[in-house]
Amino acid sequence: MTEEHHDHPHVNYWRIFGYLCIFTVASVIADVMDIRRLYNLTALAAVVLLIACFKASYVMRYFMHLKFEGGWKYIILLPTTVLALAIPFALASDIGIHYYDVDVPQQNTLLEKEMQAADESADHDQHDHDHDAAEDGGGH
Amino acid sequence: MSHQSGHPPLKMGVDIPNGKLGMWLFLGTEIMFFTAFIGSYIVLRIGSPGWPENAETTHIRIWAGGTNTFVLICSSVAVVFALEGMRNKNFDAARKWLFVTLMLAFVFLGIKAFEYYGKFEHNILPGRIPETDAQALNFTGRDLMAATGIVDATEKLKQLESQMADLQKQGRNADALQKQIEEQQKVVEAKTPAANAARAVNDRIKAGTIALGLKHEHGEGEAATETEHAKPTAAGPTLVEEVERLHKEFPDVFGSVHVPHPIKFGNLFASCYFIMTGFHALHVLVGMALFIILLGLGSKLSSQHELFVENSGLYWHFVDLVWIFLFPLIYII
Repeated sequence: MTEEHHDHPHVNYWRIFGYLCIFTVASVIADVMDIRRLYNLTALAAVVLLIACFKASYVMRYFMHLKFEGGWKYIILLPTTVLALAIPFALASDIGIHYYDVDVPQQNTLLEKEMQAADESADHDQHDHDHDAAEDGGGH
Repeated sequence: MSHQSGHPPLKMGVDIPNGKLGMWLFLGTEIMFFTAFIGSYIVLRIGSPGWPENAETTHIRIWAGGTNTFVLICSSVAVVFALEGMRNKNFDAARKWLFVTLMLAFVFLGIKAFEYYGKFEHNILPGRIPETDAQALNFTGRDLMAATGIVDATEKLKQLESQMADLQKQGRNADALQKQIEEQQKVVEAKTPAANAARAVNDRIKAGTIALGLKHEHGEGEAATETEHAKPTAAGPTLVEEVERLHKEFPDVFGSVHVPHPIKFGNLFASCYFIMTGFHALHVLVGMALFIILLGLGSKLSSQHELFVENSGLYWHFVDLVWIFLFPLIYII
């Protein structure tokens, strides 16, 4: 391992570049083919994210030379990966998976505000009428 | 340390330079930093049925994202060759590849800037997007009033008048102020017809007797909503028609006012878009700074900078990695 590291393994970087380009074109084709219409959004997401994972693995293994690094790479990368995945999983149970009715509080608040404003303006008109009446009646 | 025994010298720790270990630890934190945004985006996206996906409404252009992906892949290759150059003591080649990387980073940011310009142009900004018809009505009403500038003008007139009253109380000469007031009155008068027109529209919006009247220009899937929108909820011209009329009557005043398309979850979409691509663009800038430092060394670039180039390269590959995931997540799905 040490030998490998110091000798700087020779990689044909243009070949890796070719793979990455092919993968990029593949994900664009997936978009143009409209897998979303043919199957559904999940299928499209699965395809393009799988392609992204392949691309990422090529960049990490060959460009970042992780393939030729020692065991320390696992010590650094595995815990961060676990922690990175923890966030979506923690949030998914509440926001992502609706086990209750879909409800957008922000829009409800806006609706309430509008209704309140409408009520107020109605009250206001009412008030104005009272006011006019009072004036007609000889002062206030 | 004794070497007589023939055993290799005992070495503690990880068998890589400290600087490189530091860079990898930093990249570990960076992974968590970006997955926090990406993970939240995925979760919000799944949890928001009706998320804006149509390129016509979001102004997400796949050619821009695809080109930028290609540009970053090219730059990743360039930086790898720069490191190869450093290792082979071919520092001219290393400098050349570093320069190529830097130029590609500029291209990336240029395309990014073009995309951001489009977003600003169409007001696809967090907090600026109406999500319902009612919000679109209110936004337009507010924009119409703001375009007249009547509120500021009247406010200024009131201030001048109160100043006038103060001066008169003190029994001082107020001729100059009087002139100013007269001028301001003229300004207010000039703005009044447009303001009255805007008020009339606003009154109809408040009373709820105006429909939005926007036609959806895209997507068969939205045919249902189209009929819904086209159906007038109240008699009389729709807001779109009213705004068109105002454009004709007061082109100078209302020329910039447009009726926005309501986009459900548009604000959430814009927040996610800008936080992910924005932080990525910041990382690109930092990478460019590293390359500029290296290129600034000129012919002084030598073997002692090999670790610097390697670490900058690792960082740059990470920036590429993030984009590899942002591209499908934002531009395709």
